[in-house]
Amino acid sequence: MSEAGVIHDIGYQRYTGPRLGRASVFTAMYVHGLRAAFGFGRSAKSKIFPWMVAGIALLIAVINAALKSRGITLFNYFQFVDTLAWLVIFFVAIVAPELVSRDMRSGVLPLYFSRPLRAADYVGAKVAALVTAVFLLLGAPQLIMFLGAAFTTKTGMRGVWDEFLRLLPGWGYSLLWAFLFASLSLLIASLTGKRAFAAGGIVAAFLMTAPVVGVLNVLPSETAHHLSGLASPMSLVNGIQIWLRDGVDLGLDVGRFGPIYGIEWVCLVAACLLLLLARYRKVASL
Amino acid sequence: MSTVAYITVRGLFGRRRALLLLPLPLLLMALAAICRGYDVKPSDWGQPVIVGLGLAVVLPVIALIVGTGVLGSEVDDGTIIHILTKPLPRRDIILAKLLVAWVVTALTTAVPLFVVGLLADSTRLGVALAIAAVVGSLAYSALFLLLSLVTRRPVLLGLVYVLVWEGLLGRFVSGTRVLSIEQYVITLADKIAPTGLLDGKVSVPVAIVMSAIFALGGTIYAINRLGSFSMAGETS
Repeated sequence: MSEAGVIHDIGYQRYTGPRLGRASVFTAMYVHGLRAAFGFGRSAKSKIFPWMVAGIALLIAVINAALKSRGITLFNYFQFVDTLAWLVIFFVAIVAPELVSRDMRSGVLPLYFSRPLRAADYVGAKVAALVTAVFLLLGAPQLIMFLGAAFTTKTGMRGVWDEFLRLLPGWGYSLLWAFLFASLSLLIASLTGKRAFAAGGIVAAFLMTAPVVGVLNVLPSETAHHLSGLASPMSLVNGIQIWLRDGVDLGLDVGRFGPIYGIEWVCLVAACLLLLLARYRKVASL
Repeated sequence: MSTVAYITVRGLFGRRRALLLLPLPLLLMALAAICRGYDVKPSDWGQPVIVGLGLAVVLPVIALIVGTGVLGSEVDDGTIIHILTKPLPRRDIILAKLLVAWVVTALTTAVPLFVVGLLADSTRLGVALAIAAVVGSLAYSALFLLLSLVTRRPVLLGLVYVLVWEGLLGRFVSGTRVLSIEQYVITLADKIAPTGLLDGKVSVPVAIVMSAIFALGGTIYAINRLGSFSMAGETS
């Protein structure tokens, strides 16, 4: 870049235009990550799995909206997200290795970090891309449900507004899921360059924690029952819902410990992001 | 053939990859020990721990990671070509890899399941679970080995089988149980040690015959596929 740094001038023309900084590298990586999540700009094969998951989610939403127009309520916005929990696990197991493991595998990380890009930018762009992807996976069907309800409302604009006020917390709930699942799965995926191992590891991590909740629930201690939801990401988010919506019955009793669920969520997301950062800081400084 | 097996083992356990296999069995045993320590009735915790965690998660997921790891990762790397170009029958390559996958999966699942069965009920249940796990890991290994030859994304397809077919459909649609290895394992363990904890939903002959079909069919078809295997350059 600097003239002094030239060892051997072979007479190529130099680039003299404006150089885009960190911000545009970040944006480019974010957009690329989001496109890669759904297989855009890739072969048809890599679109199969993400779109299969998205298709199922959209289908459920459409069926739900159609039933609602006939007066049958299948799920509300929260139940819809809870129902899709397994699909979300599967989705992050597909996409997270796609986002980070490929870069490690093909050895392009030194190339990334030779740009004006910090470890924080890399991690930030990847996490943002996956959070957006998971949020789209859950939020777009919720929007369809909202539209279905809005067009069939009997009370005019007021009904649409009321429905919208119900949609907003539903979106917030989707964001809770998106942040937790994205940061956890990216952390696991960043440990290995093999996509196969990464996908297996992510699914194993989410699945093996679910029975722990069941076991804690049969222990002879009231406190253990209330805290059992903390053991698994799925029930953790459920616990937050129960806490914030004041005792919705989801088969999990959080008792007085609602705030602990909130605190654990924040700590877990923060810890995952910090560990990711530490991991890539090491790579970036090589 | 022993060299192929040796290379496979090293590929599987090289670096720190083997550590990925440890947490699942440890968690399984720890949960059983906690329940035992708190004197919870086995009828309360047996179902979620043995079936919910052990047979529905630990066994298939470990079999998936190992089964696709022995062949799929080599196909992914392109290093399979070094083995294919050696003057070895393709049958020996598949058999060596299957053997490694089977032994590793069986060891990592049968031992914790034996401990869990011992804690839950009796030595008999432990032995029954261990035997069933060994049979199940052969069927799973053959299936996942085959998957890594018929598709470039074996893990995802395997996950679809484990999560959707066995996990979701197996619970609600009774017809899919006939093709679910998890159900064979439950049935076999239940037959060897009849306790109230396990609830086999397919008949014993079906379980034995279908396990054999999965194992043999998977192996034979995998040998056939590797016989006409082409190294495609496409990497998506």
